[in-house]
Formats: sequence, C-alpha cells, structure tokens
Amino acid sequence: MKELNEARKTYEDTPIPEALGFRVQEGIRQGRARYRARRSRVIRRWSAAAACFCLVLAGLNLSPTVAQAAAQVPVLGGLFRVLTFVEYDRTEDGIHYDVSAPQVEAEGDLAEKVNAAIQEKLDVHLVKAQQDWDSYRDAFFATGGTEEEWNGREMDVTVDYEIKSQSEDRVSFIVTFAEGWVASYEERYCYNLDLAENRDLTLRDLLGENWVEICNAAIEEQIAAGVDEDGFTYFFPAEEGGFTSVDESTAFYIQEDGTAVVCFPKYAIAAGAAGAPEFPIA
Amino acid sequence: MPIPGENDLTAYLVAEQARFYRLAYSYLRSQEDAMDAVQTAVCRALERRDSLRSTAAMKTWFYRILVNTCLDALRRRDRSVPLSEWEDTGREDPPLPDDSLSRQVDALPEAVSTVIKLRFYEELSLKEISEVTGCNLNTVKSRLYAGLKKLRIAMEGENAS
Repeated sequence: MKELNEARKTYEDTPIPEALGFRVQEGIRQGRARYRARRSRVIRRWSAAAACFCLVLAGLNLSPTVAQAAAQVPVLGGLFRVLTFVEYDRTEDGIHYDVSAPQVEAEGDLAEKVNAAIQEKLDVHLVKAQQDWDSYRDAFFATGGTEEEWNGREMDVTVDYEIKSQSEDRVSFIVTFAEGWVASYEERYCYNLDLAENRDLTLRDLLGENWVEICNAAIEEQIAAGVDEDGFTYFFPAEEGGFTSVDESTAFYIQEDGTAVVCFPKYAIAAGAAGAPEFPIA
Repeated sequence: MPIPGENDLTAYLVAEQARFYRLAYSYLRSQEDAMDAVQTAVCRALERRDSLRSTAAMKTWFYRILVNTCLDALRRRDRSVPLSEWEDTGREDPPLPDDSLSRQVDALPEAVSTVIKLRFYEELSLKEISEVTGCNLNTVKSRLYAGLKKLRIAMEGENAS
C-alpha cells in the first residue's frame, strides 16, 4: 500500500483556492434561506387552511366578529389580494414538486394579464423540468449508472413567491422558479403593479425622468465598493459583459420603505459566486 | 443519539471544507467546478438538514450529498462536452504526471475510484462507504478489490515496459 500513500499525498497536496471559504459561506446562506422558505410554505399552508375554516364558521354563524377576523386572515386588504392559486407539495416519478404560485385578485384586466403570464411561465417551467429530468436519467443509465445508484435520487422543482411590499393599491412581488438538481438553476420574475391605475409600475414612476442616470450611478458605486484591497471583485468589467446600463427591461422590486431594488440574474453581470446581485437605489 | 443543530452542521462544514474541496477536485479536476460542487452540496445539506438523524451520521450523510453532487456534475459535463475535448482545453489545472498512481485512481470507473478515494484518502470504513454510496457492503468490498487489482495490474504493466 506504499504507492497508495504516495497517491494520498498527491491528493492532500491539492491546492485550496482562496475563494473556497466564501463559497462555503455562500452555500450556507443559500441553504439556510431555502430551509426557511420550505418551512414558511408549510406555515402558510396552515394559515390558508385556518382562513378557510374561519370562513366556514362565518358562513354558519354570520357572527360579525368572526367574519371580520376571516377577512383579515388573507393578509392583504386594499383593492386587491394576492392568493395562492396552485399549491402542492408532492413527489412524482422522482421529482419533488413544491409549488406555490400566486394569483392577483383585483378589478381590471391588469390582474388578469399578470395571472395569465404567471400561469404560462409555470406551465413552461414544469414541462422543462420534466424534460431535464428525463434526459438526465437517460444519460445516467447510458453512462453506466445502475438502478441501485439511482435509487432515491430526486430533483426539486420549487415555485414560490415573496411579496416585497404592498399598500392600498400597489403590490410588488417576486415569483421564483427553481430546479434544484446539479447546480441550482433559478429564474426570478418581478411584478410591480399599480392596481388603482391598472398598470405596471416602472422605475421612471419611482425615480423620475432621470431614472437611468440615478440607477446607473447607484449601481456603479455599489459595484466599486465591492472591490477588495487586492483589486478582486466578482463583477465582470463592462467590456467583458459586465454592467453597462439599466433599461426598460431591467427587473426591480419595491421594498416596504418604497426603495426600488434593481435585480440581475445570476451570471448576468458577475461570477456565479456573487449569486443574483441586487442594488437598492437610495 | 443527539440530533445535531444547525450550528453543529455549519461548524462541521466550515471546519472540513478543505477535505470536501479535495474530494470534489479529484472528480472534477477544475477549481471552479469543484468549488461549485462544494457550494451546491453545502447548500443542499443546510436545506435538507431535517433528514440528518444524528451527529454521528453527519460525516457519511454529507459525503453522500457531496459525492452525488460531483458524480452528477461529471455526468452533466459528459453530456455537454466530450471528455477528450475537456481534457484538451482544461487550462487552469496542469495535468498530473501520467504515471502517477493518483492519476490511475482517477482513471478507474467512477464507482470504483469513489471507493478507493473514500477508503484510502478519506479513511472511511467500508461500512461508512456503503452508507455514502448507497451500495451494500459486499458491493463496496468487491469494488475495492477490483480497484486494487486493477491498479496493481496497471503498475506492473508499466514496470514491464
């Protein structure tokens, strides 16, 4: 076994990259967030069940107190509600689906359009997930994988939403479509709706005519602040596909305090280690 | 047996990160891919930590996640880039000398090299390897012997030439 000791030494001499510590922390952060998201979905399901139960009671008693309590349970008042329209947590054919997709309920055709767009993205995502999984499984067995090794393998398909802020007539929320499998793949869509005026909110609405300059200055400043003392940064230089300017298609959401937060997809302007960068525009 | 808390798990993951990276690197031979694999495995571990039943099982539980992540990444790479092409263009990492035993360990079929690496590099017991790989003990033993036999044959072949 002397030779194997030498092989082991070669193995142990593998240089450890400096960025590893950061990547592990990033993995911990992502994992914690997903763990919390998983749990909050469970809690939300129970709240929804409780809300239904209250409504039933209200129907039976017509007690004004109960009816009022029930109306408050779905969290959002005002001109609209965001409700879950598809919600399931089940495993089918090796795919673990944890889907919780939102629907806006409001007067006017904006809500309808938004709901149709979300439904369409959901359908496309579920079909793509199934195709990815099927082709992965084919490749697994084609390259000599056995049933025993395959056993218990699961792909996670997660659809979830997060309401970033809400007021009487405005709502800002994000819908996330994720496939947790080899490297995690994730797509996020931001929705900022003005339901009183029946239209999408824009960065121009929030920041005024000079919204492009304001955003670019804030983003460039935050990118510059991310460079460490050795000149290292995860952000790509502008000439190598890095950030150049925001435009009409740039995604954003609105925080509770009214601040717009501009979001870029993972890999769009920075290395994968930086995740999906977000820039509050103060 | 105590059920580990989140802090036990993160402390373990941070403390042993270099080991995880070396193992991932031995499969993927690319710094970036190995770091991706470690990050993905750490993320999955935190996400699924409720499935970890005891502190004693933490090591094999996490190695299972890590090894599966690496094998999945390899298979995905096989699908997108033929291995020969990948070897030609592997720019960041100088190849190991061809005659080194560690190179020959890597050249073994994945299932066999996994057993050899976990046994001799990571010093896991055969029972632990069986838990990591999801194969029964006899399969692990047979792969270990097959691997050792193959390595010896390969070395003798070279000595003769």
